Amino acid sequence: MIYPFTAIVDQEEMKLGLILNVIDPSIGGVLIMGEKGTAKSTSVRALADLLPEIEVVEGCFCNCASEGPFCSACLEKIENNENLSVEKVKMRVVELPLGVTEDRVVGTLDIERAIKYGEKRFEPGILAEANRNFLYVDEINLLEDHIVDLLLDSAAMGINVVEREGVSFKHPARYILVGTMNPEEGELRPQLLDRFGLCVQVNSLKEKSLRVEVLKRKIEFDDDPEGFYKEWEEKQIELRNKIIRAKELYKKIPITDEVIEEVVKITSQLSLDGHRADIVLLKAARAYAAFMEKTSITWEDLEKVAPLCLRHRLKRLPFEEISGETEKLKELFRSK
Amino acid sequence: MIDFVSVVEQESAKLTLLLNLIEPRCGGVILTGERGVGKSALLRTLKDLAKSYNFVYLPLNVTEETLLGGIDLEETLRSGKRVFQRGLLSKANQGFLVIENIDLFPPEILSVIFEVQSRGEVIVEREGFKIREPAKFQILATLNLEESDLSMHFLDRFGMCVYMETLREESKRREVIKANLFESFAPEGVKALAESVKFARELIKEVQVSEEILEFISELVIQEGIFSHRAEIYLYYASKAYTALLGERKVSEEAVRRVAPLVFIHRKRYFNVSRDEEVQPSESEDKKRSEARATNPNQEGGGDKREREGGKEEQAQSEYSSGEARAENVTSQAIPSSGKERILPIGESFSVRPILFRRDRKVRKITGKRTKTKVKGRGGRFIRSTLRKTPDIAISATLRAAAPFQKVRGKKDKLIISEEDLRFKEKERKMRHIVIFVVDGSGSMGVKERMSITKGAILSLLKDCYQKRDKVALIVFRKDRAETILPITSSVELALKKLKDIPTGGKTPLSAGLMEAYKLIQKAMLKEPEARFVVFLLTDGMANHTITNRPVMEEVELICKFLRDLPSTDFVVVDTENKQSYIKFNLALNLAQALGARYILMEDLKRETLHNLVNRSKLGR
Repeated sequence: MIYPFTAIVDQEEMKLGLILNVIDPSIGGVLIMGEKGTAKSTSVRALADLLPEIEVVEGCFCNCASEGPFCSACLEKIENNENLSVEKVKMRVVELPLGVTEDRVVGTLDIERAIKYGEKRFEPGILAEANRNFLYVDEINLLEDHIVDLLLDSAAMGINVVEREGVSFKHPARYILVGTMNPEEGELRPQLLDRFGLCVQVNSLKEKSLRVEVLKRKIEFDDDPEGFYKEWEEKQIELRNKIIRAKELYKKIPITDEVIEEVVKITSQLSLDGHRADIVLLKAARAYAAFMEKTSITWEDLEKVAPLCLRHRLKRLPFEEISGETEKLKELFRSK
Repeated sequence: MIDFVSVVEQESAKLTLLLNLIEPRCGGVILTGERGVGKSALLRTLKDLAKSYNFVYLPLNVTEETLLGGIDLEETLRSGKRVFQRGLLSKANQGFLVIENIDLFPPEILSVIFEVQSRGEVIVEREGFKIREPAKFQILATLNLEESDLSMHFLDRFGMCVYMETLREESKRREVIKANLFESFAPEGVKALAESVKFARELIKEVQVSEEILEFISELVIQEGIFSHRAEIYLYYASKAYTALLGERKVSEEAVRRVAPLVFIHRKRYFNVSRDEEVQPSESEDKKRSEARATNPNQEGGGDKREREGGKEEQAQSEYSSGEARAENVTSQAIPSSGKERILPIGESFSVRPILFRRDRKVRKITGKRTKTKVKGRGGRFIRSTLRKTPDIAISATLRAAAPFQKVRGKKDKLIISEEDLRFKEKERKMRHIVIFVVDGSGSMGVKERMSITKGAILSLLKDCYQKRDKVALIVFRKDRAETILPITSSVELALKKLKDIPTGGKTPLSAGLMEAYKLIQKAMLKEPEARFVVFLLTDGMANHTITNRPVMEEVELICKFLRDLPSTDFVVVDTENKQSYIKFNLALNLAQALGARYILMEDLKRETLHNLVNRSKLGR
């Protein structure tokens, strides 16, 4: 039994960061930074229960969408004029554990089939499983360098190309990357940091009543997980439905020239590298508007998501300047 | 051998273990303390006390494969089917994982253990396996503080912590000797204790915790300035277990108070809390300074003298700061009245936060503990299989290579493997670096005892180098030249001696210091082609003496360019400038950019560790 998402006390920004990614997966994942003991991992694992269903090609191990892009196996079927039937499966949170080996990440030759039938067949790895799902890396800053390289490579192209042991296979690898880390334990490679669409900061709660609430719920859950879940089930269903509605709605929200102008106004005043910030800010604001059941993007939506989108992209030189940029960001919204 | 009951004193340590036997949700224990205080001895007595429990001991040479599980070689070769062998962590399910000397285990191994523990499940995704097994366990560990420091992040995973002290009282010491020499056993006592644990395990189901007590728990945590929510959760279970052990049914405030220190000691924060305050310029500092100026006109004189000396640097640095501000700074800084050199003592040392360097592509034979490298020969951690021949065969990959041909080769009951199927293991291991300290010894470092703090920082870095088995060298630049006061050596002790004697005073020939480092590295590269270098440059970045006829900054930038071109060399600029002062130049930042260096404020080198906490609490906070 997993602790229910809606039962997590406070930590609204972290929850929002995760929810926005469920609504629009192209936002590009979320990095959760925070101190020890602040429900980082709990939240990500709890997300699984809220995830909606997606349509996939039946029997496809990498969850190819019926409209493509396709993996080598699906393409072969199409070439042979086989019909691709569609089934619905629930989105999942796939975990990338520390200590994973390279062959399990990218996939490799299916050894048993090879011995029995002399047939070279691809055995999918975690990247295949993670396609169109969440890929969760706990303590991402402690992940081995050579595994990080694999993630960067596949994230950039959205495809995983396997050429090893005589198997040759290609499949889409568009996953929503979620990482948690405690910055005190070491830095994250800048390249990987930039891959994350959003970045949220979690802090422990300072107020006593909230802390007592955390403790109470945890005890209740420990004592009777099933009973605890039942208590929260209604809230879970409510949130799940809200997310599903937003998922249907967000693409219908127009991105007007005015909105684009406002986004650029924000980003051009801050010292940011590249254009990823603009795009993410726009997408996140749209997803947030949809979540709030609105039909257009307003300044408030931008204000709400801006810290999540920009925090990790603000230039970090001397220490005064970090807060300087954050101040500037606040100032920008205040002046409005 | 000795048993649990016969261990003299150490009541807190014993209590934590008992509480965990009663209620495993207490979250495990880490026992720390001086060498020979009996940490491991106490842990080993548990087995007899709790015979029905599952204890799994973690051997020091454990690999990821044995931890998580991996391929069962014999079975696999026989059957031609991949057969899985369970790992230690899933064997510890519903029990305790015992880790003696946790400080000696590589952090990668510990990360894996804690990750599995927090999930309560082993997920094996390696060598073609994809297996999930339950692994709910608590960790009982011992930690030797002198050897190394476990990070706060890891510590937070432990429910309780005890600092075991050597018994000073003579009669107690005699008891300890006797207990160990005569292998004293108290089988009756052990039996009775085991009974009360058993009883408490039943009773705890009936123990009540009132609303007030829950609030009291949170209050205590907040009072102690602890942030992690784990503190409340573990304190709750510890109080409950303690109440059950007392044979009571209602948790009292006293019970909470008794166990609270055991849950709190490793979670307290001493450093980051004051962070925000540090950034604020402190009024009293400035007041003190102006007072000092008023009462000591000599200092003013010293300042003027220095200003005259610094005429050249004025012009060079005008692009970074206005001359006016600079002049003000020089006069406001208290230059020692003599204006000459002096030797400042080594300031307080601390644990250094981890500074990571990227792996490179070289294959080496070097050992050490800092950065990962590919290794020649045996040893090291398996990262991937390769066709390139190494001494270790990668079984799983070899089987995969051979698999498709088994039919053609006419396999009967055994697999047929030929030469071209062989795959080898590419391995990595940690290596040491050669760390070169380039220290600014100029007059500005004498201001407000900056050099003392800097020496403390170097000492801390040297200790870190010792733990990582690095080699070190020391270069000091001051007056008109730079000098290698300690050539490359593995003797950190020698470095310590030299460090003490570094004088302060005179001008700042920054470029000479950089040049000296350049020459040193070039020479060392010939001798040790496999080496990786790290240059720690401790300076405020102000330069005012040249070795050529170029303007100061131009010369510095030119040498930086040379340095950047050195292969296998990383740079870290530690900014020694006092950031609490109103006037800051941040010149070290420009230097860091020119070098492509990591930039760290001296104050940010620190990291929170248990060692600090224990020392503080021993000093009465």
